[in-house]
Amino acid sequence: MSDIVFTNVARNFRRDGKEFPALRDINLSVRDKEFLAIVGPSGCGKTTCLRMAAGLEFPTSGTVAVGGVRVTRPGPDRAVVFQQFALFPWKTVAENIGFGLVANGVAAAERARRVADVLKLMNLAGYESAFPHQLSGGMQQRVAIARAYVLDPQVLLMDEPFGALDAQTRVVMQEELVRLARVNPRTVLFITHAVEEAVYLADRVVVMSRRPGTIREIIDVASVRAADSWDRFEKIEDVMDQASFVHLRTHIWRLLREQQAPDDH
Amino acid sequence: MSRRTVVGIATLLAVAGLWYLLTAATGWVGSARFPNPAEFGTAVKQIVTGGYAGARIHEHVLQSCKLVAMGFLVAVSVGLPLGLLMGWNRRAEALINPVFLIIRPIPPLAWIPLAIVWLGLGDGAKIMVIFFAAFVPSVINTHAGIRNIEPFLIEAARMLGVRGPRFVFGVLLPAAAPLIFTGLRLSLQASWTTLVAAELVGALLGLGYVLNAAAQDIFPAMILTGMVFVALSGAASTWLLGRLEQRVTRWRTA
Ligand SMILES: Nc1ncnc2c1ncn2[C@@H]1O[C@H](COP(=O)(O)OP(=O)(O)O)[C@@H](O)[C@H]1O
Ligand SMILES: [Mg+2]
Repeated sequence: MSDIVFTNVARNFRRDGKEFPALRDINLSVRDKEFLAIVGPSGCGKTTCLRMAAGLEFPTSGTVAVGGVRVTRPGPDRAVVFQQFALFPWKTVAENIGFGLVANGVAAAERARRVADVLKLMNLAGYESAFPHQLSGGMQQRVAIARAYVLDPQVLLMDEPFGALDAQTRVVMQEELVRLARVNPRTVLFITHAVEEAVYLADRVVVMSRRPGTIREIIDVASVRAADSWDRFEKIEDVMDQASFVHLRTHIWRLLREQQAPDDH
Repeated sequence: MSRRTVVGIATLLAVAGLWYLLTAATGWVGSARFPNPAEFGTAVKQIVTGGYAGARIHEHVLQSCKLVAMGFLVAVSVGLPLGLLMGWNRRAEALINPVFLIIRPIPPLAWIPLAIVWLGLGDGAKIMVIFFAAFVPSVINTHAGIRNIEPFLIEAARMLGVRGPRFVFGVLLPAAAPLIFTGLRLSLQASWTTLVAAELVGALLGLGYVLNAAAQDIFPAMILTGMVFVALSGAASTWLLGRLEQRVTRWRTA
């Protein structure tokens, strides 16, 4: 059981000596093996939510628990794909991907096998001995994703993982992620500001309000996906053509649009 | 040959030509003040084959290199861990920094009298003086190097479960390597600067001693010879350090 439960979470930050609330009243549970996406205007606290689940940040009040255990520190059971990739520039692609396995005492032979598998999966074969700075942004991002996948974590925390990809690669990665989620389901907390991506990938989509971030609405996509059997399509554009998809997408767009407007009441 | 090399060689030739012009050719600068090329050649030959100030050049150079190496290595093996500790641990920083702030502004050569009182005129005193000079840049730059590591790199390592020595040697040190090496270069420079000064005070062997003896003999050609060998030794050690840096940070040029 690896659910992520936010209970009455609030988080304040200090800026210029003044404390301000970044997140308020967050009550959310990402169910075991559920794919949950968070969308919201920038600065609404999406990354902060993810960091709290990762154990890199802590609530000012309330609790965050993963698998029923309160989160106190980061660990390889909750793999993070960072928005800035956070690759080690002095390590090769293969070393970056294998580092977590080395640190967790995985034997060399198994390590090599798992790294090779994930290299192939991420379409990085042939680049194992390149250094990150020799790769395009999109490839670096794939290495960052590979580094998280290879740990085979129960919980995957992804902060705008496809942000730096070009449109074609992005689509391939999205389809790949959906395929992976079917084959090997795990709990995913996925942050994005691409509404279509969220609807295509997620079981539920959380729409957040402007700062201080609160949960505006939670949209159930999984039931619509099942009812309209989106899974019969292999290509994302076929899913995106469905009236049910368009409907959800437009609904979320409207919610987000409301968040952009300055609220003067 | 690259354009840079050509320009470099041309400049050196021009300086040599000017030297010849001002000394041997016109006599505008007399031998008592600065040697001409021929006198310099003779002095080099003398110290290389016959010896000067009690020993031949390779013995002087070896002695100086030995002292620099010892002082530098001791300084680095204390300075680097200390900088690491201060960069990583705020409490250690708060504890050590005040002491460091007091020691830092003391010119390294001001340690000479104390070193002599403690350790006499032997190698120990000189190593101590070099240590104090070389220690400071190592600590400061390692400290800054650790401090300037992108926080998300440290977070990524913690997320992956990297801990203990693997975290120090696999993450902290490589991430700080560029600044650490800047510190090492400055330390090495400081080591040579202080070595010559330390040997000027009291020594029976070494390049500083050659300089001192040549000054007392009023022997400008030998003074120049001593200076040239200090420069060559310093350049050689800097080159070695550069090679090490290149090896360690190979990824940057890959
Ligand atoms: N460590 C921090 N110190 C101060 N303010 C922070 C810190 N982290 C985030 N914030 C602020 O909190 C708000 C939410 O940030 P973030 O979670 O990164 O938003 P998002 O990912 O939705 O764009 C922003 O206003 C941001 O500037
Ligand atoms: Mg963010």
